[in-house]
Amino acid sequence: MEFKDKLLDTYIAFEEELGPKDSIQKLRSQALKTFENHGFPSKKQEAWKYTSLNSLLQSDYLLFPKSEKAVELNQIKHAFLYEIDTYKVVFIDGVHSPFLSDTTHDGLDVCLLSAALSKPKYKKLIDTYFGSVADNHESMTALNTTYAREGAYIYIPPSVVAEKPIEIIHLSTGDQGAVWLQPRNLIVVDRNAQVQIVERHQSLKEHRVVTNCVTEIFAHQEALVDYYKIQNDLDSASLIDNTYIAQDKNSHVSVHTFSFGGKITRNNLNFYQNGEHINSTLKGITLLQEKQHVDHYTLVHHAQPNCESHQDYKGIFSDRSVGVFNGKILVDKIAQKTNAFQQNNNIILDDKAKVNTKPQLEIFADDVRCSHGCTIGQLNQEALFYLRSRGIPKKEAKALMTYAFANNVLESVQIPTLKKKINKLIANKLGVNLGFDL
Amino acid sequence: MLTIENLHAEIEEKGILNGIDLDVKAGEVHAIMGPNGSGKSTLSSVIAGNEDYEVTQGSVLFGGEDIHEMSPEERAHRGIFLSFQYPVEIPGVSVTNFIKTALNAQRKAAGDEDMPAAAMLKKIREKSSLLGIDSKFLSRSLNQGFSGGEKKRNEIFQMAMIEPKLAILDETDSGLDIDALKIVADGVNALKTPNNATIVITHYQRLLDYIIPDFVHVLYNGKIVKSGTKELAKELEAKGYDWIKKEVAG
Amino acid sequence: MAYTEEELKKELESKEYEYGFYTDIEAETFPVGLNEEIVRKISQKKQEPEWMTEWRLDAFRVWKEMEEPEWPNVTYDKPDYQAISYYSAPKKKDKYESLDEVDPELLETFNKLGISLDEQKKLAGVAVDIVMDSVSVATTFKETLAEKGIIFCSISEAIQEHPELVRQYIGSVVPPKDNYFAALNSAVFSDGSFCYIPKGVQCPMELSTYFRINQAGTGQFERTLVVADESSYVSYLEGCTAPSRDENQLHAAVVELIALDRAEIKYSTVQNWYPGNKQGKGGVFNFVTKRGICHNHSKISWTQVETGSAVTWKYPSCILKGDYSIGEFYSIAVTNNFQQADTGTKMIHLGKNTRSTIISKGISAGKSQNSYRGLVQVNSRATNARNFSQCDSLLMGNDCGAHTFPYIETQNNSAQVEHEATTSKIGEDQIFYCNQRGIDTEKAIALIVNGFSKEVLNKLPMEFAVEAQKLLEISLEGSVG
Repeated sequence: MEFKDKLLDTYIAFEEELGPKDSIQKLRSQALKTFENHGFPSKKQEAWKYTSLNSLLQSDYLLFPKSEKAVELNQIKHAFLYEIDTYKVVFIDGVHSPFLSDTTHDGLDVCLLSAALSKPKYKKLIDTYFGSVADNHESMTALNTTYAREGAYIYIPPSVVAEKPIEIIHLSTGDQGAVWLQPRNLIVVDRNAQVQIVERHQSLKEHRVVTNCVTEIFAHQEALVDYYKIQNDLDSASLIDNTYIAQDKNSHVSVHTFSFGGKITRNNLNFYQNGEHINSTLKGITLLQEKQHVDHYTLVHHAQPNCESHQDYKGIFSDRSVGVFNGKILVDKIAQKTNAFQQNNNIILDDKAKVNTKPQLEIFADDVRCSHGCTIGQLNQEALFYLRSRGIPKKEAKALMTYAFANNVLESVQIPTLKKKINKLIANKLGVNLGFDL
Repeated sequence: MLTIENLHAEIEEKGILNGIDLDVKAGEVHAIMGPNGSGKSTLSSVIAGNEDYEVTQGSVLFGGEDIHEMSPEERAHRGIFLSFQYPVEIPGVSVTNFIKTALNAQRKAAGDEDMPAAAMLKKIREKSSLLGIDSKFLSRSLNQGFSGGEKKRNEIFQMAMIEPKLAILDETDSGLDIDALKIVADGVNALKTPNNATIVITHYQRLLDYIIPDFVHVLYNGKIVKSGTKELAKELEAKGYDWIKKEVAG
Repeated sequence: MAYTEEELKKELESKEYEYGFYTDIEAETFPVGLNEEIVRKISQKKQEPEWMTEWRLDAFRVWKEMEEPEWPNVTYDKPDYQAISYYSAPKKKDKYESLDEVDPELLETFNKLGISLDEQKKLAGVAVDIVMDSVSVATTFKETLAEKGIIFCSISEAIQEHPELVRQYIGSVVPPKDNYFAALNSAVFSDGSFCYIPKGVQCPMELSTYFRINQAGTGQFERTLVVADESSYVSYLEGCTAPSRDENQLHAAVVELIALDRAEIKYSTVQNWYPGNKQGKGGVFNFVTKRGICHNHSKISWTQVETGSAVTWKYPSCILKGDYSIGEFYSIAVTNNFQQADTGTKMIHLGKNTRSTIISKGISAGKSQNSYRGLVQVNSRATNARNFSQCDSLLMGNDCGAHTFPYIETQNNSAQVEHEATTSKIGEDQIFYCNQRGIDTEKAIALIVNGFSKEVLNKLPMEFAVEAQKLLEISLEGSVG
């Protein structure tokens, strides 16, 4: 049986299991239809031209892994920002782990989507937000919607500033063979509220895991959302990460994506600006080795006047790795005085590495400042020589220059501990031990 | 030459000029000073005919003619020149081509033929050397990638080429080091004749050490609150603008 | 008061196509429709050898199985390919020895266009091969060229006179199955130009062809083939104007360039097909396939000024097969009213140390849509490939759109690829600055647009640059002077 058929056939039993309490039954069955019609995306589609999921779809996956496994704390410690106090919503093989989590309802909600979907007191919220920004015509999102039942649910009430970062951690143990996980996160940041969120997907040992994740973020007026995605999974893990962000006027949302690992990673990051004076920031560092493949697909839809967006993606590619960047800026006719900038710079270190980049501008307003630029090149040999002539070994010199290359993305990370952690991750990837932080 | 009476002007319904009176005669140099936001740049924009500003009251006469209904280029054709505080970049259009186009447009308006290429070249050489402008500079795109000093020097070069009746220098000293300031001031002074007039708009007194004004006016809250000779500028330098503010408030 | 942007917009909208007239020359036209028999008949009419007939038939069979592309960012009513007549030739079949013999009405047409042949001959030293409704009717300067061994003639003539050259190169860069329109062209091409520059020869003059559409209900399917043998050089100019028509006209040309080792081809186009009226009715569909192949140390340079056509679909490309070969693309595309343009280039880096440059300037006014679509591909063997691309868009008014779709695919770690794009409008501050210097708004816009386009205009041969500027002016008339 093809995996698609399995996904379709499993639905009836799934629906029965959820029962009548399910708030989003209608949405699910619509989404199922979309997925049935479109199926998995193929390279024939423009949006998936450079990324094929075929290699993932050859085998069977367990859709609903059973209850929580015991995991050793120090086995997973590295996946957390353990040095500082954070709220945590942790899942093991898609199931919530109360032991590892640190949730709250005290002044803000950091809890579980499963609770929000089934408890009556959340019904209004779910009706308002759930599935309202996610593109349910997109088949991977539709597939997620069909089976969405667990993930993080975060609500920051008006004018509340979350006093510590929130970590959303999805762990996969590999104890049950190949698994297909579909976490769903819903994040609502009300007027003038502020929050920092770190999201991570991590396998604990080599095994086949595909995560098809959907996150919806709503930033109301004057809200401030600072979101970080750390993608440093094992080479057997793949991730299709779909993030949809709706912004109201005067809100600022920034998303940093650090892609350092995994087999195939596809990031669909969509910003919708629904008010004036919005600021959207999309930044990323992609540092790949071996046969890793990362595809960033971004959309910024400027639908109102006087807004800004800034995109800055850096990629460094070694061995046979493949990097894809497809960034689209859409400026509606009424979105006058838009300032939209996009930059994608890539360094190819090895002969077999590939980079495909396709920055797009679609502009229907005349009074705008939009620009994009992309480069593909190598580390500057002269600079490399200069460093080496000062006694810095080649590996360190290369690392130093890579750091310098990616630095302006790192600079805007607002959580110092996280910045340190990412610095360390980069150093590890580059196989050096730099005695400094940037 | 220029007579401004009870001039009121606003931008986006915000009043910036609240009753300006000013009389500039041929051969005179007037300095207009004032703190930031007092309306100095607005005054120059309004005289030059920037349509972002709306004149709500009063009149501006130039050579006896009311210029209220005139477009910016008509005013330019009559001899008003504005040296911009922030000169605009026009990519792909060289300084030479731009000044040729401008000069010939003005000649056409006056009913003259285009200036012959050789004469134009000669004039460009003459005026650029007056301001110490390199010939390479002339083939660069207008104001694109120019340093602050280069932009201002280019403005004065254009003024030298166009030979206006009334030159308004809007913060021409900002962004200039002392050497550049001298070059620009020498250029302005060299162009002075008994038939033209200059309005120098500045925040600081230092430019007035090099371009000596006959009159100094202090603009505050969209009004000229004090007029005098160059001694007034010195006094302002010494006492600062707070002195004026207090005096006005009192 | 001053000339406002509103007034400018109105003028732009009300600007009619200046060259919308129709020359009444007797023509022989085939019945409408397309089938194998028609293809055979076209070939027969032109007394083509058997291999050519078969080549056309193969192309026709391929075309029948293909579908019209949907991916460009343009919308239009697809032509009914069975409602088009695929052959139309002026009745007088004999070639002219001199201009005196040419139909005076035709000469009159050219006079209206301001491109009198006499004048052209004298002033510019341009040999002109006029394609008037698909068949060459006049060729000049042939003798001068013949002395150097340069062949410059209609493709029909070349098929007769130089079959070995045509057979070797036709379809070698754009194979019939390349795309829908190339296949159609291969099956039914009526005429076009052929040019061969022998080894080591520098062509002493700019070669030029004027294409025109001039017969109600006929499509136009030129085929151009330029072969520059080793160490030779040629500059080729192509210009188009077309009379006004109510129904849409299809234009599906194919241009193939072959630059052998150390050869250089410069191919310049000024395109001003009828763009349709200001309601968006009528106008030419311009679906052109242009591609060149570069051998070792050779260079192909495409320069285009696109101001016409209702719909343009065009990507002059370079296959940089040889080591140290160079590809260039310089383009200005102006769209106004309801025009749609989807244009750009492909630079395929195959050889080592290959270089390419792309400079694209899009100007959109009225309700038009202007898209840049380009591909820069660096293959795994293309060591030390370099590309620089710059795509700038200028928007005039708020009902038009500018789009940029660059594809960059790199499979080699020694490649250096840079792409930049910007979108802007003519700033009110720029206009005011010019006004203050005494330059009126209309002239100011002309100045700014010229400055914006300068990098590309500079690439045109002198005698062509003037015409290009004229067409820019016409397209944005009222604003560009």
